[in-house]
Amino acid sequence: MRSRLATTMEVDGLSAFSLREFGCEQNLLSRPDGSSSFVQGDTSVLAGVYGPAEVKISKEIYDRATMEVVIQPKVGLPGVKERAREQCVRETCEAALLSTLHPRSSLSLVLQVVHDDGSLLSCCLNAACMALMDAGLPMGCLFCGVTCAIDPEGHIVTDPTAQQEKDSRAVMTFAIDSAQHRVMMSSTKGSFSVNELQQCIAVSQRASEKIFQFYRESVRRRYSKTV
Amino acid sequence: MRETPLSNCERQFLLKAIEEKKRLDGRQTYDYRNIKITFGTDYGCCIVDLGKTRVLAQVSCELVAPKENRPTEGILFLSLELSPMASPIFEAGRQSELLVKLNRLLERCLRNSKCIDTESLCVVSGEKVWQIRVDVHVLNHEGNLMDAASIAAIAGLCHFRRPDVGIQGDEVTVYGPEERDPVPLSIYHMPICVSFAFFLEGTYLLVDPSEREERVMDGLLVIAMNKHREICSIQSSGGIMLLKDQVLRCSKIASVKVSEITDLINRALENDRKARKEGGKFGFAELMAVQRITALKSDEVSIEMSDGDAGAPSVAITTESPPEVGRVPSPVVRAPGAGQVGESLENAWGLEQLEEEEDQPGDEVMDEGLEIKEENQRQEKSKGEVVVISDSEEEEVVILNPKTQVKESTLHASQSQPQSTGAAKKKKKQQKKKPVH
Amino acid sequence: MAGLELLSDQGYRLDGRKPSELRKVQARMGVFAQADGSAYIEQGNTKALAVVYGPHEVRGSRSKTLHDRAVINCQYSMATFSTAERKRRPHGDRKSSEMSLHLKQTFEAAVLTQLYPRSQIDIYVKILQSDGGNYSACVNAATLAVIDAGIPMRDYVCACSAGFVEDTPLADLCHAEESGGGTSLALALLPRSGQIALLQMDARLHQDHLDTLIEAAMTACKGLSDVLDSVVRQHLQEVSVLTRD
Repeated sequence: MRSRLATTMEVDGLSAFSLREFGCEQNLLSRPDGSSSFVQGDTSVLAGVYGPAEVKISKEIYDRATMEVVIQPKVGLPGVKERAREQCVRETCEAALLSTLHPRSSLSLVLQVVHDDGSLLSCCLNAACMALMDAGLPMGCLFCGVTCAIDPEGHIVTDPTAQQEKDSRAVMTFAIDSAQHRVMMSSTKGSFSVNELQQCIAVSQRASEKIFQFYRESVRRRYSKTV
Repeated sequence: MRETPLSNCERQFLLKAIEEKKRLDGRQTYDYRNIKITFGTDYGCCIVDLGKTRVLAQVSCELVAPKENRPTEGILFLSLELSPMASPIFEAGRQSELLVKLNRLLERCLRNSKCIDTESLCVVSGEKVWQIRVDVHVLNHEGNLMDAASIAAIAGLCHFRRPDVGIQGDEVTVYGPEERDPVPLSIYHMPICVSFAFFLEGTYLLVDPSEREERVMDGLLVIAMNKHREICSIQSSGGIMLLKDQVLRCSKIASVKVSEITDLINRALENDRKARKEGGKFGFAELMAVQRITALKSDEVSIEMSDGDAGAPSVAITTESPPEVGRVPSPVVRAPGAGQVGESLENAWGLEQLEEEEDQPGDEVMDEGLEIKEENQRQEKSKGEVVVISDSEEEEVVILNPKTQVKESTLHASQSQPQSTGAAKKKKKQQKKKPVH
Repeated sequence: MAGLELLSDQGYRLDGRKPSELRKVQARMGVFAQADGSAYIEQGNTKALAVVYGPHEVRGSRSKTLHDRAVINCQYSMATFSTAERKRRPHGDRKSSEMSLHLKQTFEAAVLTQLYPRSQIDIYVKILQSDGGNYSACVNAATLAVIDAGIPMRDYVCACSAGFVEDTPLADLCHAEESGGGTSLALALLPRSGQIALLQMDARLHQDHLDTLIEAAMTACKGLSDVLDSVVRQHLQEVSVLTRD
């Protein structure tokens, strides 16, 4: 069942924005407590969550769960870029999760890059959110990731492909929460003006509505056949 | 995480069932689980599902200098990683016994058996050869990682295309995928591993053990063979005692299985080639099982920006002026050649109050002058100007610690003073010695 | 490989041996005074030294203790001067780790570990000169060292390598034959029961030849076990003469 979302476009002076075709599958791995695979166009990320589980005494926190994020690239060993992305994802997850409900436990999130065709960080965030949902971990709000790129002419492109990212002047990724559509995390690269930043945030907030709609639909579909 | 131990009753149940020739998932002794092979968008990317065990392989290539003792041969580099999502016991970056074993087996199966023609990977003898790198990631561990990894690696190698290279005299040009079609690797044969698990002191054997069966097994025998009934590698592990005829029987079973699996790989490669040629969609996105309720796909979505509330200009207007949060310290930029001892612009040692009491009336004139300058400075700071520390005498703005200057004139030189402006220009004042309380 | 005939027309190998002939084996036990057991073996030009400590209390992490049997800890390393080119990393690389695992597995099967619960037996093997058959020399040296230490075993563990050239199996390969790219099989055997403790084979071999190859390796191992047996008996005689009044 493919869901058909509204495709009417209204151009109001700003360029028309669109998100690539995306798809998600949950609970596809048997060992992790929660797993999901999120696909945006050709970018594909696989996420697995273990938790709440036993934590090493050296890492335990007395009143909340310890969150660990590992991003594994497809080729080679993880480097500084992966560490930076892990940091972004971890902080978003920690802000969204109700970690005080599981003190002295560990939550480990592992992300495997299956194919990178642009907007990798936002795909990681979306896959992470769906995996956390699949694992049934208590969250204060859902989050989603949206990437915007500003091309040399100044047009904003949402959900850019790798080629578009390479040609652009600036690339920004925002993590938006579902409760109040505020920005939870932002990661930017390149130079841009304050006005452009505000525009991109506004566009991302609108785009996040679509993504949250998608989350809702996929969960509704999943639990449509409960015993 | 520590491995959850297997309970005794579970162990006994499994062994009893094996004695009665029954397996937990209903398979026969020599049956494999369902194998599913899918290829990704770029060449050399392959995911193999062996039952629930899932393995991802990616093949890439790079031009490097060859090894000294083999100047005309390319290099094949294999690396297997146990991703932490595959099992709670796997930790990122830990070199465990299982990892060493799987890596060595994979290396011996693929490299020592010379499955790809490394001579054809040579570009300039002694200087530049292709290094083919195969990265295998284990995504889900439900038993029999070795077989899944070997299938994924060889399928990835068969699927991979390397860039075409043109040599004209001394010049070597590497053509991109848009200029010339990439070239497949020349593969001699496809070695595939088949695992046999032995139970109860070698009396019973099972093909393709699942994770539970692996926990109770005595040992494992891995035979790597190709379609032409050539054995590429044999490895027994786990301390089992084998008899010669057991090994021969296993090799016969392995040859049957290997030919079935090789056909499966060839069919998957053929399907992928057809899909690419006809311009149809290919890649993982297409192969997501949309019939399942756990999967959902949506088409390309456009975002409407027509609403006034969420319009960007309105957002920009409401957030234009930054809120007044009081005096925000302006950024301090050091001019080249200037240094500073200490970080703060203002002295926070709390000695100001002492000093103000000790101020002599004679200093007041100077104090006033300094204070006026202080105020000027504060006003400038509140405008958000960048304060530049330099030691040029012309600039007047460079008084960073007017109060400190006052202190210097009133205190003994012997007292250690918080010198936070080492390079700041000190205005010379008349030193008045005063007893310090 | 052109120009390097592993088997000549008259049936002689590179070093003049017949196909089923083993290299000269010389061994000595009790070479180290401070170790519980030690042995030195020379198989042709391959020289290996093995040292055994134990059974003793489990050192290091207590979690490795097994409640019903002894833990066997093996370490395999090659001397930096053992190969033609100086070896950069004598231990810690993947090949040595793999060899150590194989040795451990072989001896766990052969040693009667049930007699020593909650203890640890250490076996350290070093290759002093490598000329093919590294694994076999290690296993043979370790067997002698374990016997020297007085630890009970089910049977001698004998190991030998075998190769295959033009329908003829070759026993006990030297370095040139191993690295020539042909088949090489390493086999560890308990001779009296004929049980294979470890089987490892590289390079391509047609399935039909597997039987002959394993058979040749087993015969070679049995021949080696006779040699090892005579070494042990001789050593026992020497020691008893020394301790006799």
